[in-house]
Amino acid sequence: MAYAYLFKYIIIGDTGVGKSCLLLQFTDKRFQPVHDLTIGVEFGARMITIDGKQIKLQIWDTAGQESFRSITRSYYRGAAGALLVYDITRRDTFNHLTTWLEDARQHSNSNMVIMLIGNKSDLESRREVKKEEGEAFAREHGLIFMETSAKTASNVEEAFINTAKEIYEKIQEGVFDINNEANGIKIGPQHPTTNSPLSTSQGGQHAGGGCC
Amino acid sequence: MNFFRGVMGGQTAGPQPSGAETIQKLCDRVASSTLLEDRRDAVRALKSLSKKYRMEVGTQAMDHLINILQTDRSDSEILGYALDTLYNVISNDEEEEQDENAQKQADDLGTQFTEKFIQDPEHITLLLTLLEEFDFHVRWPGVKLLTALLKNQGVQVQGIILVSPMGVSRLMDLLADSREVIRNDGLLLLQQLTKGNAAIQKIVAFENAFERLLDIITEEGSSDGGIVVEDCLLLLLNLLKNNSSNQNFFKEGSYIQRMKPWFEVGDDNSGWSAQKVTNLHLMLQLVRVMVSPVNSPGATASCQKCMYQCGLLQQLCTILMATGVPADILTETINTVSEVIRGSQVNQDYFTSVNAPSNPPRPAIVVLLMSMVNERQPFVLRCAVLYCFQCFLYKNQKGQGEIVATLLPSTIDANSISAGQLLCGGLFSADSLSNWCAAVALAHTLQDNLTQKEQLLRVQLATSLGKPPVSLLQQCTNILSQGSKVQTRVGLLMLLCTWISNCPIAVTHFLHNQDNVPFLTAQISENLGEDERLVQGLCALLLGICIYYNDNSLENYTKEKLKQLIEKRIGKENFVEKLGFITKHELYSRAALKPQPIFPSPEQMLFDHEFTRLVKELEGLITKAVHKSSEEEKKEEEVKKTLEQHDNIVTQYKELIREQDVQIQELKEKVSSMTTQTEQLQATVSQQQSQIQQHKDQYNILKLKLGKENQSQSSQGDTQVNGLQTEELAQLREELEELRRQQKLLQTQLSEKDVQIDSLVSSMAMLSCSNDFNFYFLHPLFVLFHYTISSS
Repeated sequence: MAYAYLFKYIIIGDTGVGKSCLLLQFTDKRFQPVHDLTIGVEFGARMITIDGKQIKLQIWDTAGQESFRSITRSYYRGAAGALLVYDITRRDTFNHLTTWLEDARQHSNSNMVIMLIGNKSDLESRREVKKEEGEAFAREHGLIFMETSAKTASNVEEAFINTAKEIYEKIQEGVFDINNEANGIKIGPQHPTTNSPLSTSQGGQHAGGGCC
Repeated sequence: MNFFRGVMGGQTAGPQPSGAETIQKLCDRVASSTLLEDRRDAVRALKSLSKKYRMEVGTQAMDHLINILQTDRSDSEILGYALDTLYNVISNDEEEEQDENAQKQADDLGTQFTEKFIQDPEHITLLLTLLEEFDFHVRWPGVKLLTALLKNQGVQVQGIILVSPMGVSRLMDLLADSREVIRNDGLLLLQQLTKGNAAIQKIVAFENAFERLLDIITEEGSSDGGIVVEDCLLLLLNLLKNNSSNQNFFKEGSYIQRMKPWFEVGDDNSGWSAQKVTNLHLMLQLVRVMVSPVNSPGATASCQKCMYQCGLLQQLCTILMATGVPADILTETINTVSEVIRGSQVNQDYFTSVNAPSNPPRPAIVVLLMSMVNERQPFVLRCAVLYCFQCFLYKNQKGQGEIVATLLPSTIDANSISAGQLLCGGLFSADSLSNWCAAVALAHTLQDNLTQKEQLLRVQLATSLGKPPVSLLQQCTNILSQGSKVQTRVGLLMLLCTWISNCPIAVTHFLHNQDNVPFLTAQISENLGEDERLVQGLCALLLGICIYYNDNSLENYTKEKLKQLIEKRIGKENFVEKLGFITKHELYSRAALKPQPIFPSPEQMLFDHEFTRLVKELEGLITKAVHKSSEEEKKEEEVKKTLEQHDNIVTQYKELIREQDVQIQELKEKVSSMTTQTEQLQATVSQQQSQIQQHKDQYNILKLKLGKENQSQSSQGDTQVNGLQTEELAQLREELEELRRQQKLLQTQLSEKDVQIDSLVSSMAMLSCSNDFNFYFLHPLFVLFHYTISSS
C-alpha cells in the first residue's frame, strides 16, 4: 500500500477512441468490446514501479462527448499527466487533436506531461492515420507518442508507465513542485526522507548539465 | 444607525418618506453618484434597510448592487456592503420566530430573488471571481451569498458553476483559508454545491477533498470535535453516497484506514455530548455508505476486506460490547457491523469469534439475540439485531450450520444459552414481535441451504410432562392454527414457506400431519376481513409450495390430488387471487427494496426482504402449476421422462467417455514410462558397447606392447618393475662398470704380486735353507699388505 509518489492522470480525446478501454486494460487487464458511454468522469487506480520505487497512479477517465467538455476542463489543473487519445481508424479523431491540445494547454499547469496515443493499432486493415503522422504531430507539439491496442493490450502498460517515467524524471530535475498537491503529484506517506538528498543530487547533476 | 445619518441627514421637515421611497432615493444615488464615498454610504444604507424592507430592496436595488460588484472592484468596503445586502435579500436563513405562513412567503421571496440574480449566468461567474479576492469583507459575504443562492436554486446554480472554468476548484480553495470562519462557511457552501450532483462531487473529490476533510476532522478532535467535524462529515457523505467513482477513489486512496481511529472509544462512555453522538452517527453512516448492499458486490467486498484488514471492524465490535454507549449509537453500530460482515466469509468468521466481556464470556451473537427477543429493548435496536443476524448468515453456509446445530439433539449444549434456544424461545413467546423476529431469523438459517432444511426437521421440542415430544415443524403449524396475532402468523408462515420450498422431504413432513392441508384450504377459501388478507395469501403460497415441490410420496397428497382439492374447495381463480394478496400488500414493495428491516412502527413489521425474493421466484411458478390441467401435466411428465431418458443416455455416454478417458490416460502413462525404460536400456547398451570397444582397444594395445617387450631386454622389464629411473640406472651401471674394472685391475695386480711373491719365495728358498725361515716367510706378507694400502 505504501508508495513513494502518487501521480494523477487524466485521459482525454474524442468519444469512442477507447479511453475507458485503455484504463480498463491497464487496471483490470481485460477488454470490454461493447462501447459503454462514459458519463462525466470515472476513476481507476494502479500501482507501478519505476526505478525501484512504488508509484501509485490515480487515473480519471473523462467523457469524450462535446457536452461534457466543460466538466472535463476542471480536471486539467490538478493532473500531472494526460493521455491524449485518438483512433487510428478514424481520421476525424486525429484532426481534433489540436483542439484538445489547446484546451489542455490552456487549463493545465505548464509542466503536465502529455502522451499522445493512437489507439486501436490491432485494426491495421482499417487504418486511416499513418503512424508517421502521429509521430510528426507529437514531434511538432513536444509530446511523447505511442500506438496502442486496448484490445490486445499492446503498448498499454508502456503508455501509462512511460508517462510516469517522464513525470518522474521531471521531479528528479526539480521541474515539478512536489509539495504543491495541485500539480497532481503527492509524496507517499512512507517516503524515505534519507533518499531525497540522493535523488536531488542526481537531479542536480541533470540540471547542471542543462545549465552548462 | 447609518441609514438615518446618511438618508435623513439631508431631509428637513415634511412627512416621513415610505421605505420604498427611501430605497428609490438610495438606488438613484448608487447609480448616479460620481464620488465613491457617496456610493459607499448609499450601499451601506441599503444594507441596513435590507432586512426590514427585504422586498423593496430586492426589487429596486438588485441591479444597482450587481452593477457595483462589476464596476467598483477596487474598493473592498463597498463590495462587502453590496454582497451583504444581496445576501440579506436572497437568504431565508435569518428569518426566525415566524409562523409557517410568513416563512413560506419569505422562502418564495428568496427563490424569486435568486431567479432574478441568476437570470444572467455571468452574475455567478462574477461572484466566483470576487471569491478570489482575499479581503475578509469580500470573501466572507461572497461565500454566504453563494451558499444562499445554492440553497434556493441548487440545480441551476450548480449547472452554472460546473461549466465556469475552474469554478469548483476555486471554491475548493476555501477549505485552505486560514480564517476559520471562511473555512467553516466554505464547508457549508460545498455541502450545498455537492448536493445531488455527481459531476461536481467528483471534481471536489479530485481536488483532494477527502484528504483535506479528513485532516480537518483530525485537527478538530474527531468525534470529540464540534460542529465543524459534523459539517465535514456531512460533506463527505455528500461526496460518497451513491457515487461509485468517488467510493472507489476513497478506497484506493487508503482513506478507509483513516476512519478506524474515529471509533476508538474508551471504557467509560457515559456522558457523551449531543455533538459527539451526532458526529459518531455520521461516521457510522460513512462506513455504511462504503459497504452498502446496494453497491456493486465487488466494490463492497473489497471495502469489507479492507475494513477487516485495517482493524475497523474489530474497533466497531469493541463499541458493540462496550458499556455506556448511548442506545442510538449502539443501534447504528450494530447496523454498521451488519453491513461490514454481510456476505464476507472472513468477516463473518471473525464476528463468530467476538465474545462479550461477561462472566463466563458469551458469544456476541448470543448476547445480541437476547436483546432481539427481549420485549423491553427498543424496537429499532431489535430490528438492528435481526439485521445483524441476517447479514451474519447471508451466503454463510458454515454459520447457518452452526446455528442449526445448537438445536440438534446430538450437538445441543444444555449448560449454556445457545442461539438456537433463544430463537425457539422467541418463536413461542407471548410477544408477537419476538415471534416474528425469531421466525425470520430462523428462516435465514435455512436460506438456500437444503442440508439445514433437512437437519431442522430433526428438531424435537419437549412439551408438558407426560406428553410425547413434538417436532419443531409441527409446533409451528400448531401455533398457526391457534389463531394468534397476525404478526406471529405471518412470521411463522414465512418460516414454513422458506423451510419447505425446494425441499421435498420437508414438504412430505408437512403434509404428513393430517390437519395441515384442511387448515390451509379453510384459511384460503374463507371470506375474511382486510386484516387477514396477507395471511390468506401466505397460506396460498404455502399450499402452492406443497404442490410445486411435491415428490408424490404421500398417496393422499400427491400433486394431482392437491390440485383437485384446490379446484373443488377454493377454485383456481380464487386461489391465484389470494396468492396475489402478498405482492399487492402495501408494505411488500418497501421490504423488497433493501435488505435492512426498517419499519415505521412495530405493527408494520410484516415482510422480510429475503422472503420477498422467494415470493418473486415462486408466484409465477405456482400459478402455472395450479393452472396446468392434469393432461398437460402428464404430457409434461412424459416430456420430462424422455428428457430424463435422454439425460440418462447422455450421462451413460459421459460415463463411458470418462472411463475411456481414464483408460487412455493410464495407457498414455504406460507408454511414456515404457519409452523412458527403453531409452534407459538403450543408453546402457550403448554405454556397454563403448566399454567393450574400449576394452578391445586396450587389449590390442597391450598385445602390441607385449610383442615389442619380448623383443627388448628382459632386464629393462625388471628395472621397470623395480620402478627405478633410467637415469639412475645408467649411473649405477656406470659405477658398477667402474667397480668391475677396478676389481679386474686389482686382480691383475694381485696376481702379479702373487707371481712376484712366488718368485721371491722360491728365490729365498733357494738362497737360504737356514733357521731364519719363519722370519723370512712372514716378511713378504708384510710387504704385500703395505703395498695394497698405499695403492688404493
